[in-house]
Amino acid sequence: MAATESTPTGALVLMAALALPGLLPSARAESAPDSSMIGIRNLHYREHQPNLERITVNSPSLVFMTPLAGEWTLNGELVIDNLSGASPRYHTAISGASNMQDKRTAADLRLKRTLSNGSVTLGAAYSNENDYRSAALSIQGTVDSGDRNTTLLWGLGGANDKINPVNLAVRDERKRSADALLGVAQVLTPVDVAQLSLGYTTGHGYYSDPYKTFDNRPRERRQTALTAKWNHHFNASGGSSRLSYRYASDSYGVRSHTIGEEYVQPISEGWTLTPALRYYTQSAAWFYADPNYHPILGPPFLAGISLRTRPILSLDQRLAAFGALTVEFKVSKQLTPEWAADLKLARYEQRSSWRIFGGSSPGLAPLTADWIEVGIYRRW
Amino acid sequence: MVTPAVSQTYGGDGLIRFAFEAMAGPCEITLAAIDDARARHLANLAIAEVRRIEHKYSRYRADSVVSQINTWAGVAWTACDAETEALFGYADALYAASGGLFDISSGVLRRAWDFHAQRIPTDAALASLRKLIGWTRAERESGRIRLPMIGMEIDFGGFGKEYAADRAAALLLEQNAIHGLVNLAGDIRVLGSKPDGSPWRLGIRDPRNPTGTIADIEVSGGALATSGDYERFFEANGRRYCHILDPRSGMPVDYWRSVSVLAPLAIAAGSHATIVMLKQAAGKAYLDDTGLPYLAVDYDGHCHRRSVQPVARMSLS
Amino acid sequence: MIRTLITATALCLPLVGCASIGSVEPWQKGVLAKPEMSFDDEQASTRYNEHIYSSRETTAGGASVGGGGCGCN
Repeated sequence: MAATESTPTGALVLMAALALPGLLPSARAESAPDSSMIGIRNLHYREHQPNLERITVNSPSLVFMTPLAGEWTLNGELVIDNLSGASPRYHTAISGASNMQDKRTAADLRLKRTLSNGSVTLGAAYSNENDYRSAALSIQGTVDSGDRNTTLLWGLGGANDKINPVNLAVRDERKRSADALLGVAQVLTPVDVAQLSLGYTTGHGYYSDPYKTFDNRPRERRQTALTAKWNHHFNASGGSSRLSYRYASDSYGVRSHTIGEEYVQPISEGWTLTPALRYYTQSAAWFYADPNYHPILGPPFLAGISLRTRPILSLDQRLAAFGALTVEFKVSKQLTPEWAADLKLARYEQRSSWRIFGGSSPGLAPLTADWIEVGIYRRW
Repeated sequence: MVTPAVSQTYGGDGLIRFAFEAMAGPCEITLAAIDDARARHLANLAIAEVRRIEHKYSRYRADSVVSQINTWAGVAWTACDAETEALFGYADALYAASGGLFDISSGVLRRAWDFHAQRIPTDAALASLRKLIGWTRAERESGRIRLPMIGMEIDFGGFGKEYAADRAAALLLEQNAIHGLVNLAGDIRVLGSKPDGSPWRLGIRDPRNPTGTIADIEVSGGALATSGDYERFFEANGRRYCHILDPRSGMPVDYWRSVSVLAPLAIAAGSHATIVMLKQAAGKAYLDDTGLPYLAVDYDGHCHRRSVQPVARMSLS
Repeated sequence: MIRTLITATALCLPLVGCASIGSVEPWQKGVLAKPEMSFDDEQASTRYNEHIYSSRETTAGGASVGGGGCGCN
């Protein structure tokens, strides 16, 4: 409206001004950073259900980001997960829960090249446990429109996992998957930007959980996910709202909705508060069996299901229908020009009664997890 | 030549201010003070850019591009680079938009108007100088320019300062300095809101009181530039003779005391303000046509305005 | 109240030029350059969360590629 309201005279002067060199910031949406960062973080995660302390995880990690010659940026993360505790062998059964002690080492590297009208990022990820090894490669790119108001995103990735469970349920099993992503980000107003993306993953191989009773999942899985994000800045408060929604559907018959809202509020003296809420709900996988046990044999044997033919079946809580809520609160502080720190507290709760669609998945205990993250970073 | 110092002060409001002298006036770059060393680095980048432009185009420097062109007027071609040619292109647009009133070759009139001696030139003196005015008569070819008559001169005084403010702002924005402003002797380019998200409150100078303001406006982006009859002037015979001269008559304009315009770029805001000063009574219609917010004070002290938001204070002295 | 809103909106237009959706000019993008306004989720904090969710929920990822897997139960 403003543009058409201006007469040719007013527009003429502005257009002439825009023809002058160097009056507009160039390539700002995708400028290579001019400083390096290194940080250490720690995650302490505890999970429980009524009458069962499930697993506890401590994950220290090292994160870094550094510009390399010219338009290249390298960033990455090294993480060690130290996991211990108990996990139910079927449903949320307490008796016979498997005790475990595990250590995972993972590295993740991304090399990004900033271009005049976008960027290309190469990624490599590696994760190693005594019974599971995963290696993944990816390439992602962005292409900006001439006015930088529209950005197209694309990505391709592949992962190759090798599974050798300590109980020798299977040996040298593999899982291979490939994913593709296509999306578009659009600047809507000076304070609104939105992104829509479609992700597709396909994989085949060993998807079962070797430590769960009767677990035998399809050897193929395809997932399609549609994600929409909308960031809005409030000039009045200086805060920013980050809203996201994801719909996903997979060949296991699981459909899910995820909605998340994060509100970033800078306050004085370098402090920033970020409360966040997330709700997730999924329907049950077609091969998930409710805890409807055999009247004579009792759990974990199921009523009406013959195990003789080794049917496609899972009693894993993760494949049931449920809803889950996360409440998070993060405080960050710029301590000095070089140093920054943050602290995050989160609580996650999963209950079958919180689902909004899918069949009923009765008889499962709620799952609660609390985690606390602390991080300190230095920039130079 | 000694480079003038940059003084650095901290506000209690999370801001850091870098004051320096350039373009014949007090200048200031204000940035968020979260990262001190970085703010200083950014301010130095911006100040260096302002100084580069001043150096390259000042008519007070014998080695500037402008002085070269003027020295060889009527005699020879002077080579000019892409930036200089782009500024010529902008001068063409201003000439067209103002119906020939904004003419970068009208500076010759300063030879007749001596604001120190407070002398009103004779009609004959003005008539002979008017013959040397005419930007459209400049001969231009790719990469070079020649003024056709000895004695002709051009200068970028009409928009050089605003151009420098926008160039400095672009450098700061490229470095993601999104909270701050560039103030070159009253022509202000805002990078973005204050660090807390609130707008900047900019005062518009009272044209009849050097230390007073007539209005405060709140701005979170864009630029505010003012053109007024108070920068250089003298009074004689009960009227004010200011430095903004009509190239057709050679006489100072006297319809507006000051014109302030808000526009996306400082160079556009400043050019509009100056064109309105030059258009005199017809300037009001021009201003309304631009669709931009403005505040103009006429010869009588009456305010004419189109607001961007409720103006906080509008008391006239 | 409504009149104030309309006036405020109308008066904003020339300056911010919130003209039509998608035609935001480069000099209006100061706010959009804030890290919290970007969709770049390559933050360590986000990764911890993604990892936790992928180990407790069936749907994982969807908005990025090449995350790699793990045997987390």
